[in-house]
Amino acid sequence: MFFKSLDLTTALRPLLLPDEILLFVQDAVGLYEGKYKIQNYQSGHAYLTSHRVCYVATEDPRKYSVAIDLKEIDRVESQAGFLKSSPKVTIYSKPQKKKTDKSRSATASPAVAQQSALHPTHSLSHLPQTNLPQSSPSPKPINATWICPICSFSNPVPSNFDPAMASAATNLPPCLACGIKPPFTTVLKAAINAVTSREFPLLNLAVSPAIAQDTRQPNANASISPFGSGETVSCPRCTFVNHPSLVECEICGAPLSAGSSANANRVDSPAPLFEQSHIANTEVSECVKLSFRAGGDKTFYERLKGALVQRKWLLQNAPPVPSPSQGASSPGLPSPAPSVEIPLPSAPRTSGAGIAGLERRGLEARRKNELVIGNAFEDLEALMASAKQIVALAETLARESGMTTNEGSPETSAVLSESAAALGMVTTKDMLSSGSESLYLSELARDLAEYLTDDRKGILQREGGIMSLIDLWAVFNRSRNGVELASPSDFQKAAELWEKLKLPVRLRRFKSGLLVVQRYDWSDEKTIEKLQAWMEELRRVPPDDPVPWDWPLFGRAVTAQEAAHRFKWSVGVAAEELEMAEDRGVLCREEGIEGLRFWHNHISSPEYDDLSRLVI
Amino acid sequence: MTTTTTTPFPFPPTYNFPPFFTPQPNTTTRHSQLEKWSSLIQSWCRHHRQYRLSLIDAVETPLFHNAALRKRLDLREARAIIDWMAKSEKEGGGGRRAEWISDAGGTSSSGSLGNGVGQGPKAVAWIWWRRPEEWADVLVEWVEGTGQRGSVLTVYELIHGEGAMSQEFHGMDIDIMLRSLNVLVKRGKAQIFGGEGQEGVKFF
Repeated sequence: MFFKSLDLTTALRPLLLPDEILLFVQDAVGLYEGKYKIQNYQSGHAYLTSHRVCYVATEDPRKYSVAIDLKEIDRVESQAGFLKSSPKVTIYSKPQKKKTDKSRSATASPAVAQQSALHPTHSLSHLPQTNLPQSSPSPKPINATWICPICSFSNPVPSNFDPAMASAATNLPPCLACGIKPPFTTVLKAAINAVTSREFPLLNLAVSPAIAQDTRQPNANASISPFGSGETVSCPRCTFVNHPSLVECEICGAPLSAGSSANANRVDSPAPLFEQSHIANTEVSECVKLSFRAGGDKTFYERLKGALVQRKWLLQNAPPVPSPSQGASSPGLPSPAPSVEIPLPSAPRTSGAGIAGLERRGLEARRKNELVIGNAFEDLEALMASAKQIVALAETLARESGMTTNEGSPETSAVLSESAAALGMVTTKDMLSSGSESLYLSELARDLAEYLTDDRKGILQREGGIMSLIDLWAVFNRSRNGVELASPSDFQKAAELWEKLKLPVRLRRFKSGLLVVQRYDWSDEKTIEKLQAWMEELRRVPPDDPVPWDWPLFGRAVTAQEAAHRFKWSVGVAAEELEMAEDRGVLCREEGIEGLRFWHNHISSPEYDDLSRLVI
Repeated sequence: MTTTTTTPFPFPPTYNFPPFFTPQPNTTTRHSQLEKWSSLIQSWCRHHRQYRLSLIDAVETPLFHNAALRKRLDLREARAIIDWMAKSEKEGGGGRRAEWISDAGGTSSSGSLGNGVGQGPKAVAWIWWRRPEEWADVLVEWVEGTGQRGSVLTVYELIHGEGAMSQEFHGMDIDIMLRSLNVLVKRGKAQIFGGEGQEGVKFF
């Protein structure tokens, strides 16, 4: 396991890989290498994504940020806080390749396992499982059950059901008692639960004894047998109090979860500092600890476990799941969303020729989309599971509707339809532990900054580098597709945080109270320079119609609309900018029946003052 | 109008600048705008030998109405400019270059300019392209230059007399002449005697 260097976005957050999604964010997190605190890595944000655990320091984030790939993680442990010790999540690295064989042989030997069990400081919370599985060293099949929503009968999850690969299109066996097919989500949830609880005993077995030896610290408890503590484990399903050495409940057979993790290790706190100050690209010798000083450890731990189970990183180059309705006709379809299809006229289908065949294909595609939508919106979790398909479907629909409506649709709608990327990185309240309003706001501020500076969308560029906060709010919320909308007050508060967080966008209040968003390097002087250059240009270009005034001297009047068109601002912003320039005395106004127009300020320019004095 | 010269009035370049006719919200711009209007009004009145300005008539004249630009200064804005001109520089005004004639009826003796009568307050104003004090200086200079110190002149002579034909105060409004002479009286440089409309003045 290595500390990988981390690329940050403009908003100083981890740059996500394709298909990577953000799962959780927590602030006030410190980093430990083994038992040692790592200098300069003691106050920052922990980002959990589907592929990585990232740490980004609050101070100097470009220098002090690292990531650990989830695929290199062997297992994780949670440690509750005790007195002054903050709750911690420990991440154990996978053994090196050469060590793998050794560890495999070690698992077969009861003596080694016994030895590791004698040290309670090491993974105390999982002790009950650690001791026993010597008798059954081979991985057990998934022992998951799903409860039928119709008759509440406990059915076993089919052994070939893989929660990471399954989709709504997977064939599911009906309930054994009532014969009704279960909803996909029920089975998926059951399978994930089962895998989560199964993972740990198995992973513990695979720990190399060398690593285990390193982590443990001989202390007073070392000689005390864990069995002497009299700790018992109550079954999460039937609440029967089991002997701690059992892995399954004696009564109902449910897998027993980890016991209470109240035994915080206080020996290492306050911990000595890790010598190296720059840790990027260094190897983690044993384990990494994340210390959660402001809470959030429970959720982080749960999500991390979930991410380790789902193994999203495997999906990156995985072939698409062939859906049953499609059969074997097109197994090699490269599309990542197999159930979303636009009927292709050149499809190698033999069943139907001509228009009838096309129509049948169209009908099938529609039916499939219907099924996907129907399944996905049944449950939020199912929506998450099939999010990829739904986003793809939504994009297709948007593209189609965009084609059918007039081609001159505003550019903003193009931005909206490209919302898939926005879905990936946007922090929702769900990703944060409850009650941390300030964290939510700062994350929202970062979201916005990223959204604005994203070159793919180029929202700010398209709006001439400046847009009103209300426009941004509308576009941003629409790009969230109606879920996890940001409230106006949160939105404004988040925008006010940009300056504090040193993000590359700024909120600015015009004299009239209009709030606009602009780049940090945008200044009134620059705007005025632009306006003055324009005014100079107008003095050189003869007007289309003869004008009664001296145009080489005065130029021509401009309206807010013209300015908006020229600088690609919105009209409201253009009006504000012109008034700003007027305020600085660069422009002056002319009110007439044609409306408000702005001129270069010849009224207070001194060269003409002298002229008019001469006349007296 | 007393005397209207045949040469056309040379308007300053800003007169053809359309925003000149719109009140500017920016204070510095506004200040320069008022200054320019003030000097324009003064030079206009001086060119036309005009001492009082009736705004209601003036808004139709080329002074406040730029026909080429199809722009005009409305009455309210013209009043604001005269107001500004009437204030002293200390009050942030234009140095008392104008003065409202509050009781237009009292000045009807001048006859030719009685058109401001009955138009309510702030309808007619003196435009001081020369303040009465400045006129007093001009008079003293002329009297001394022509060796008329100690002699007695009627006010009519001063205004319409042949001796003062070439002078700027020739054909001056009688009210202004009296005010200027009163300045001289206060300075102890002249004495006014005689009745209403028959005033004579002696310079010391």
